[in-house]
Amino acid sequence: MEQSWETVVGLEVHVQLNTATKQFCGDANIFGEDPNLHTSSISLAHPGTLPNINQTSIQSAIKLALAIGAEINYENRFDRKHYFYADLPKGYQITQDNLPICVGGSLELDSGKKIRFHHVHMEEDAGKSIHHLDDKASFIDLNRAGVPLLELVTEPDFRSGDEVLEFISKLQQIVRYLNISDGNMEQGSLRCDCNVSVMPVGSDTYGERCEIKNMNSKKFAKQAVEYESKRQIRAIANGEKITMQTLHFDPSNGTTTPTRDKETAHDYRYLPDPDLPPILITEDLVSELKTKMPLMPEALKAQLMVEHKLSSEQAYIIASSLDSSTYFFEILKSHKKPKPLANFFINTLIPYAKANEIEISAINVAPNNWSEYLSLIETEKVNRKDASDKLFPEMLSKPSVKPLQLAEGLDIIQSNNPNINDQIISEVLAAFPEEVKKYKGGKKALVGFFIGEAMKKAQGKANPKTLKSDLIKALSS
Amino acid sequence: MEINEELILKLEKLSRLNLSQEDRTVIKDDLKSILNMIDKLQEVDTENVEPLIYLNQEKYEWRPDEVSNELPRRDALKNAPAANEEYFSVPKVLNI
Repeated sequence: MEQSWETVVGLEVHVQLNTATKQFCGDANIFGEDPNLHTSSISLAHPGTLPNINQTSIQSAIKLALAIGAEINYENRFDRKHYFYADLPKGYQITQDNLPICVGGSLELDSGKKIRFHHVHMEEDAGKSIHHLDDKASFIDLNRAGVPLLELVTEPDFRSGDEVLEFISKLQQIVRYLNISDGNMEQGSLRCDCNVSVMPVGSDTYGERCEIKNMNSKKFAKQAVEYESKRQIRAIANGEKITMQTLHFDPSNGTTTPTRDKETAHDYRYLPDPDLPPILITEDLVSELKTKMPLMPEALKAQLMVEHKLSSEQAYIIASSLDSSTYFFEILKSHKKPKPLANFFINTLIPYAKANEIEISAINVAPNNWSEYLSLIETEKVNRKDASDKLFPEMLSKPSVKPLQLAEGLDIIQSNNPNINDQIISEVLAAFPEEVKKYKGGKKALVGFFIGEAMKKAQGKANPKTLKSDLIKALSS
Repeated sequence: MEINEELILKLEKLSRLNLSQEDRTVIKDDLKSILNMIDKLQEVDTENVEPLIYLNQEKYEWRPDEVSNELPRRDALKNAPAANEEYFSVPKVLNI
């Protein structure tokens, strides 16, 4: 019988924190600036300088620890990890080897399966090397040197590329909810290394693992894991032995290839950094941060379903980002009808924000104006189509004007005045006497024709529902 | 620990140094005498003594997250052995 195999994956995820400054000095932490604008004697590793820890980065680490239910090390410390590379001015990276900020914790997938964390530690990013600008030289930009990172190391709990993809999405949500990172993989604020091995189904011994470095997209991470596990299974079937190696994933052809290693043998010579006293976290700080924790996406989703009776799908979409859920609750304050509001979010607001690549919070319309907009639809003053085709864009372009006023300006207010219906109906019936005769003779299908003509005359000013019922009444009399 | 040729070569590699054969002989002797001293220190009984990692155990003030002390780019690049207007320049690391 053919052997079946199981994929085993563990992740190392680097999360770049959105602090104002770097981990150990006051250089600004900004992405996408011109090269070398944000350096100092500390980030350049000038002799005699001392690192000084950023208090916000410690708070961010504690917030993450609380969100994943990790155990905080109230005394933790920094170590030096030595290696030579041109974008690492000190010749070592400050990281946490022996006593990380927290250990354990987990994150639950939709299936209910828990992915466990081994630990989370604080460290600093390296600078950026640019190799393609010159034939003989590599260029170094140190804006990123010293930017605070959290490295999250999971247990080898993943069994498929899909689980990896879902986990990364959930992690992005969490860091965004906590507002500790933008979680943007394309810009490198969230990157991950995937450790992949395979073992026979039912075995409890992991195979030799290979590490795929620096995935900058969750879809690529999934593809890379899937490709690599197939490669290993094929290799084993061919009688080859899997050896531990570092791989690079090429998205253009979906394959992994061994990287040319920077160093023949890694010998990082970790030692406690004597320049940085131990980080002593107080119970007070942790309880203060606890009180400031936002509701996490899963809890928020539950609240939307239980308290506001949204469907699981609606709740999932609204809770998917802190941005959309915050705005949702803002509007809900003045418009206490969660279901129509959720529909408006899902069918109109979120697609609009996506199409324009903006955050929902960047939509410059006051929440109570959306509330008025929804009321206009619910009271049938404006029909649904006119609202989304005409009033919605008008509100976006004139955010300071009240929706009712805009609707009047657009001439899309429907009248519930029966006189208007009567007037339109008598005009239509008078214009098409032949059709009226046919209708009365039994050709009932003509009703659609009359309604069409009446709607044309009404130009959106009549309420289609009452117009239709009044018309049928008039034809039957 | 034995200080042999192999160890010296490894240390050279890790510290990016290229030593002459003469230097190696000198360094070998230096390292031996350093390790002898360490061996001497090891004789002290430290069974119930907490390791001392930090000389200064005072509570340490964390830095507020505010931008400070940045260098103008020109100054940052000034002392580099090689640089252009924008970047530090180093011998080519990767050919791509």
